[in-house]
This record gives sequence, structure tokens and C-alpha cells, in this order.
Amino acid sequence: MIYLDNAATTLIKPASVQRAVLEALGSMASPGRGGHPPAMKAAETVFNCRLAAAELFRVPEPEQVVFTLNATHALNIAIHSLAKKGTRVLISGFEHNSVTRPLNALGADVTVFGQELFDREAVLEDFKKKLPGAQLAVCTHVSNVFGFVLPVYEIAALCRQRGVPLIVDASQSAGVLELDMRRLGAAFIAMPGHKALFGPQGTGILLCGQKGLPLLQGGSGSESILQQMPDYLPDRLEAGTHNVCGIAGLLAGLEYVREKGTEEILRHERRLLAQAREELKDSGLELFTGPEGSQCGVLSLRSPRLDCETAAALLAEQGICVRAGLHCAPIAHRSAETLKTGTIRLSFSPFVAERQLSAACAALRKLA
Amino acid sequence: MTQYYIMCRSLTAAQRSARLLERSGITAVVVKAPQGLSSSGCGYAVLLRRRFDEAVALLKRNELLRGKLFSRSDEGEFTEVRP
Repeated sequence: MIYLDNAATTLIKPASVQRAVLEALGSMASPGRGGHPPAMKAAETVFNCRLAAAELFRVPEPEQVVFTLNATHALNIAIHSLAKKGTRVLISGFEHNSVTRPLNALGADVTVFGQELFDREAVLEDFKKKLPGAQLAVCTHVSNVFGFVLPVYEIAALCRQRGVPLIVDASQSAGVLELDMRRLGAAFIAMPGHKALFGPQGTGILLCGQKGLPLLQGGSGSESILQQMPDYLPDRLEAGTHNVCGIAGLLAGLEYVREKGTEEILRHERRLLAQAREELKDSGLELFTGPEGSQCGVLSLRSPRLDCETAAALLAEQGICVRAGLHCAPIAHRSAETLKTGTIRLSFSPFVAERQLSAACAALRKLA
Repeated sequence: MTQYYIMCRSLTAAQRSARLLERSGITAVVVKAPQGLSSSGCGYAVLLRRRFDEAVALLKRNELLRGKLFSRSDEGEFTEVRP
């Protein structure tokens, strides 16, 4: 099997992740509940994971690292904390439904900025133009469809100047690009655990620059006599039993990323991207690629004769796993004018070898 | 031997405090707070057996001292300690 659907979930994980999950399953109870050894062992693991995430993403205090089920859950907490009916929200032209659907459900007044694929300057210019009057901005760091790296640090600086809170969706960048909470000064940064942080599915992280509003209420293991959620992090946003096995795996994934280094991971993924561009350049397939530095981890393409789902099914028959369709991001496809067709998406990870990509490219050439 | 309880507002805060103390060579254990010490139900504390004053000063310097302090005598009696 050649697995090229890492932008959805990394299937191939470091061996340490699987070991950590199994170890937790057999030995850890629930943190913040009992005081007995299995509960305290779970608490230790969860705390170590907070510390590891705080270190990797330069978060001032481990309390600001909140565990969620996935990035969607994290984004929902962030959005429900800062937006309500009528709130004027700026979103990039490359957001996922996990941003647009909650905003739509709340009745926020949404304006889209920056729909120019792979043109960071144009995106920034449009953001500057539309920022006055905005009450909230939401920006993905990297488009899940095209791998377009948005100018999120520049956008963050403009938000800080204007006092506009910013939510960053780091679903595709966490574990690959530098992600610095201190430098961004964002209100919230949301990310999944199961993509480039190599945790299991069912893990996510919300980095909190502010307290936020609980999406769920329930047991927190603290201040149990009160009928409101605690007013401090992380307890405020973590109602119910933690996914301890998942968090144990996520900790192992974070340790892998720290040891390998995001620079090396990014270098590898960009090498693969360049290789795919080179091997497919005269194939007759339509490739969506940007100038140097504007793309990472993901390559979208279209076949001139096959619809994307048929093409992906043909690849799957050959053991090549890619994703096709709209990738839960219709707005990104609208920006790139691919909404009617969708795209075939290849997405990389440190566990994709060059020879595997070559074999996938050979199969892809036959789809033209 | 007298034991000291440093009350913490959350498990994470207790863990942070204990790590800080351990890094400074002060033995500290995170425990569930004895019932009655917390006014709002379940809570966590850092338990110390020695170097209490030093620990309190260190936590204060690092802005981690946010709860009450108690000593527990050999007879099991708790007394609030003012830093």
C-alpha cells in the first residue's frame, strides 16, 4: 500500500505511538478523578503531553493547552467563544467546513478575504482592505486542499495592531511548519492530533490565548460543588473523561516530531512535492502548484478525462490511497474554481518514501 | 512528622507546582486534597514533608501560589498556615 492521504489522517505512525496507546490502555485510569496510582499515572501522561505541546508550539503555560476530540471540536470551542449572531468575521478563502459551518450556524456576518491561490501578497492585501470593522478573523495556516501556506504571521500582526482576535486553524501545519503561539499572539490555535502530530484519531488540541467558553459542561474533577464550569484553564474547556489512550499516543507523536524536527519534516515533504511536480509535469494532468515557499505537504490535481472520484477509486484498486472530492472545503474550491470537479489530493508525511511516490506518479500518469 | 499541603486550583496547577519544586530538589507529591480543605469540593494539593518555607517562596516567585496552605500534625489535625 502507498498511503498518500496524510492530510486527512496519518495512517503510518511512529511505532512508539502504538506502544504508548497500548501501555495506556492497560495501565492508566482517568486523570483528575481518583488519587490512586492508575489515575495519577494517567494524570502524569496527560500533563507531560501538555508540556510537550506547550514546548513545541511555544505556549507560555501548559494550562493553555486544552485537549479536544479533533480540530473541529477545537475550532468549535474557539468560534463559539468569540462569535455570535451578527459578529463580523473575516475568513480566508481556503477555510474548511469546520470553520464555515459553525459560523453559519451562529448567524455570523462572514466576509471572505484572499481567494487568490498561491498568491500570499494578494491574500494579505485583501485582508488589509477588509480588516477595518471586523470583530474576529479566522485563518487557516495551510489549505487542506492545495497546501497553500497562507501569510498567517503577517495576518496575526495586523490583527494585533487592530485589536481583532484571531483564530488560527493549524490542522495542516502543526508538526510541519513553525507554529509559535507567542509570536502569533492568537486568541486560539486549533489542531488535530491525528495528522502530522501522529496521535491516534480522536485527539486534538486547542491552544488558548484566552479563557474561552465551554462548549460542554460536566465533570472536571475540580470545584465539584459548583454548578458552573471552573473559570480557569484547562478545566474550563475539558468536561468529561479524557481520551487518555489517545493522549498517550499523541505524546509519543509529539516526541517523534520534536526529535525529528519540523524543519526536517518540512524539507522531506517539500522534496516529495518537488518530485511529484517533476514526475507529473508532462503527464497531461492539471497540477495545482505554487511558487517556492507557498505550498507544503499537499498536491491537488485533476485528470482531463476522469472525474476525481473515479480516478481515486482506480488508484485505490492499485493500493494507492489518495483523497478525492471537495475535501470538506467548498470555499477553497470556489476560490480555485474547482468547485464543480473537485480534485484528487496527494498528501505527504515523513513516512512516504520517494520510491513509493514514484510508483504512485507512474499510476497517476495513466489517468491523463 | 508534620506534613504540608499546598492547595492548588487544578490538577494541572498542582502538577506544575510539583514539577517546579522537584526541579529545585524539593520532594513534592501531587495528591487529592483531603476533604474539608477545599471549599468547593474536589481539589488537588502538593504534599511536602520538609523545606516548606523554601517551597512556598519558590512557588510565590513563579506566581504559582494561589491556594491556601495547611499543616497536618501527627495526630491528623489540619491547621491553616499563613505564608
